[in-house]
Amino acid sequence: MASAIDIRQLTKVYDGKVNALDGVDLTVKAASIFALLGPNGSGKTTLMRILTTQIHPTMGLARAFRYDVDKDDDKVRKIIGYVPQEMSVWTDITGFENLLIYAKIYGVSSLQRKKAIWDALQNMGLEDVANGPVKKYSGGMIRRLEIACALLIKPKILFLDEPTLGLDPSARKAVWENLRSFKKEYGTTVFFNTHYMDEADLYSDEVAIINQGKIVKTGTASELKRSLHGEIISFCLANNGTDSMHPSTAPLRQDLNILTKIRALNFVNDATVHDSVMDVAVENGEIAMPLIIDVLRSEGISLQWIRSTRPTLDDVFLKYAGMRHMQDQSGYHYGI
Amino acid sequence: MAFNDSLREMFAMIELEMRRLKHDRTEIYTRAVQPILWLAVYGTVMSHVRDIPTNGIPYIDYITPGVLLQSTIFVSVFYGLTIVWERETGILKRLLVAPASRYATVIGRAIASGVRAVVQALIIFPVAILLGVKFIANPIYILAAFIMLFMVSGGFAALSIFVASLMKTRERFMGIGQAMIMPLFFASNALYPITLMPPFLQSIAVLNPLTYAVDAVRGLMISGDVANVPVDFMAVIAFDVVIFIVASISFRKIIE
Repeated sequence: MASAIDIRQLTKVYDGKVNALDGVDLTVKAASIFALLGPNGSGKTTLMRILTTQIHPTMGLARAFRYDVDKDDDKVRKIIGYVPQEMSVWTDITGFENLLIYAKIYGVSSLQRKKAIWDALQNMGLEDVANGPVKKYSGGMIRRLEIACALLIKPKILFLDEPTLGLDPSARKAVWENLRSFKKEYGTTVFFNTHYMDEADLYSDEVAIINQGKIVKTGTASELKRSLHGEIISFCLANNGTDSMHPSTAPLRQDLNILTKIRALNFVNDATVHDSVMDVAVENGEIAMPLIIDVLRSEGISLQWIRSTRPTLDDVFLKYAGMRHMQDQSGYHYGI
Repeated sequence: MAFNDSLREMFAMIELEMRRLKHDRTEIYTRAVQPILWLAVYGTVMSHVRDIPTNGIPYIDYITPGVLLQSTIFVSVFYGLTIVWERETGILKRLLVAPASRYATVIGRAIASGVRAVVQALIIFPVAILLGVKFIANPIYILAAFIMLFMVSGGFAALSIFVASLMKTRERFMGIGQAMIMPLFFASNALYPITLMPPFLQSIAVLNPLTYAVDAVRGLMISGDVANVPVDFMAVIAFDVVIFIVASISFRKIIE
């Protein structure tokens, strides 16, 4: 499939010292929805600003449908739509007027203008409020209006910087449902930055994780999740008959003993214990669980509860973009 | 076709300003209060002081061009606040991603501010007539005076955008704006002839574009002495050209 965006060794150095982007390589397939995930300050907004021709890269190459975003910036601007993270419509005029001004800026001919505006309003479900002043809109409506402004010219690539930041769940859903149906109708490539893992999981075809100016992982959401581990099964170990609350050394030795046995099992990747909860990373929980329970039983350990968790995109994100932070907080050590 | 794109954006910016004005006219009216007070109170009181040489023109009439220009230029000088606000929101980023050149945004905005200034002056103009100010009844002169008002307001709006691109925050911008306003007004011939000023102030007044605008508008609307008007127009055009270029160049700094 043709690529919509091609990035090779893209580097951006601010003030000669801060490496905001450090050799980014990335390909985005045409007509796909692409999510770029990264912690604050990871370079994802810088990357989007280069791709949308706002700032120049220090080194490297980025192309949008074969146009160099640095050298052919005026051509690139005609085929992209962009919605910045911050509010970007005029609030003292109506929604329709906002679209009208953008239609004129983009040179939508006067014959097509009305239709283009109403199409965009309809795509974003704003027909009913079009003639109301924007200052009376809700946050979700403003965001949809901003996207409508970007959709006016039926862009080949739509860039969205944190498109649903600060919106309530139903507004987020509305934004995405409208976007998806637009994408389906016009085959637009959507490239978005987000902090919301569930959003990337639900709506994107492909995900890239950026950290410290480098792309650290790419793939579909399910590929990324699979790349972590199959599943985590947590066992809460009961204090097994001994009266004492937590005797000093004996249980520790016992724990270690059990861990070694469990780690030796087939289908088990790793096991750790903290606060009398044992986490076992396995490929397939349904097969591994009876085996682990057998080991625990044979050691005379009874269980209070068992819980199974499949990895989420959050786990993927934490592993590739925030591992240290996670370990500090929870003590988890997935032995991958 | 980059030129067409830019031209389109300029017109769109003017239309935007007009639509904003249509939705909220309060600002235009409230901003008319101060100049009307200048004429009605300051002008009336000072007209009893007969020491200011006005070539036989009644003092209220003498200061009307200055007050008219002052009221519109003050609006222009603070126009940069809109740009600062648009920078804080995402509007500017979005405009810079549109196909037009950056200078189109600056010039379009400055012209839009000039148009707003003309609307502002049109509110004060009839009030001045009611206060007994006698304008020269020559439509071409009046039209030329309004063109001057439009040009100098546009220039000061560009100056304001230039300041905004350097200051970037509301607070810093307000500080500079306030510091500019008073010298601009007092170091000009708006309220008294330049000849009354100490030499130092005179040399500032000669560099102040407002001086030329006031001179032209006074000649065209009040005194009928239009001998200096071509020179005044040339001075203001030169100011506009320079400041449009400087502001356009500096504008890219605003989003960095």
